[in-house]
Amino acid sequence: MSRRKRKVETTEVEADLPITPMLDMSFQLLSFFIMTFHPTPTEGQIAMTLPPAEQGGGSSNPDITEEKPKKYVVRVAATENGQIAAMTFREADAPDEGGENLGADLNVYMKKIKSLADAEMKRIAASATKGTKIPPPKLTLELGDKLLQEYVIALFDSGVQAGFTDIAPVPIDKGKR
Amino acid sequence: MSHGSTDKCEPNMTPLLDLVLQLVMFFMISANFVMEQTSVEVRLPEAVSAKALGVADDTIIFLNINAKGQVVLPPVDREGDNDTLDNPAQVEGYMKRRAAAERLKTKKDKPEATLILRIDRGCPFEKSYPIMKACRTAGYSNVQLRAIRYSGQEG
Repeated sequence: MSRRKRKVETTEVEADLPITPMLDMSFQLLSFFIMTFHPTPTEGQIAMTLPPAEQGGGSSNPDITEEKPKKYVVRVAATENGQIAAMTFREADAPDEGGENLGADLNVYMKKIKSLADAEMKRIAASATKGTKIPPPKLTLELGDKLLQEYVIALFDSGVQAGFTDIAPVPIDKGKR
Repeated sequence: MSHGSTDKCEPNMTPLLDLVLQLVMFFMISANFVMEQTSVEVRLPEAVSAKALGVADDTIIFLNINAKGQVVLPPVDREGDNDTLDNPAQVEGYMKRRAAAERLKTKKDKPEATLILRIDRGCPFEKSYPIMKACRTAGYSNVQLRAIRYSGQEG
């Protein structure tokens, strides 16, 4: 008995993945993301100190060092439309009225506090070599009621750039603190 | 008689598809999703020295204050139907409730969350200061002011 060997015919089938619809969809997704791409401005923070109640001073942290930090006060009067009208500088222990007039220019304010911060940093560095620790200086901003946040931030910004790490805002009117 | 070949001439789409998918992925990843707590329209001022949030600031509370000095609550933080807190007393009550909830959670005496104030650039100090005071009364001491990070160069 002859057995006829059955030859199985194999036809090669090429798997063809339809790429075109996938590409169409990808283009649609791409165009959607390109059109909705809106880089939002990066936000950041400026640290501030909430002054303790009924005091113009800064931080509530207990002072464990022997030396007390230097405290400076900048009083900023505002115009009716919320801009800076005038700035005066004084040391915290000095009387409220008077002080050094800085005008309404933020650059003058910046130069003044930068020179103070630099001098204080030198003093801190010199005392560190002798083994005594002086805490960083404090800056209190006495702000006029109408002053807009735009200018409040500008004052803080200059303070931080000058080297102050402890900046506290308070109203000029002591009754409101 | 010879017949012309019937070979199909197809452009190779695969590299194009690879490229497009990579672009799609780029745009998907770099898409800025709106943060729930900061979605409120507040025009922030600009500052050069504004720094990004630190790793240590794990619990953060955002407080959005509009130009009128009202605290605008995002949907995620709303209590009932109120979406704004119009006066410092309301803000103080709200912050005290949040502080109590936080103290209950962390079992600590004082709330340790970082409070970030997003104050509109047009808000006068007489409106923003009572809110700062209310936060201080509620027990929050780590308070920061939010600003747009600005390189200092005009384009």
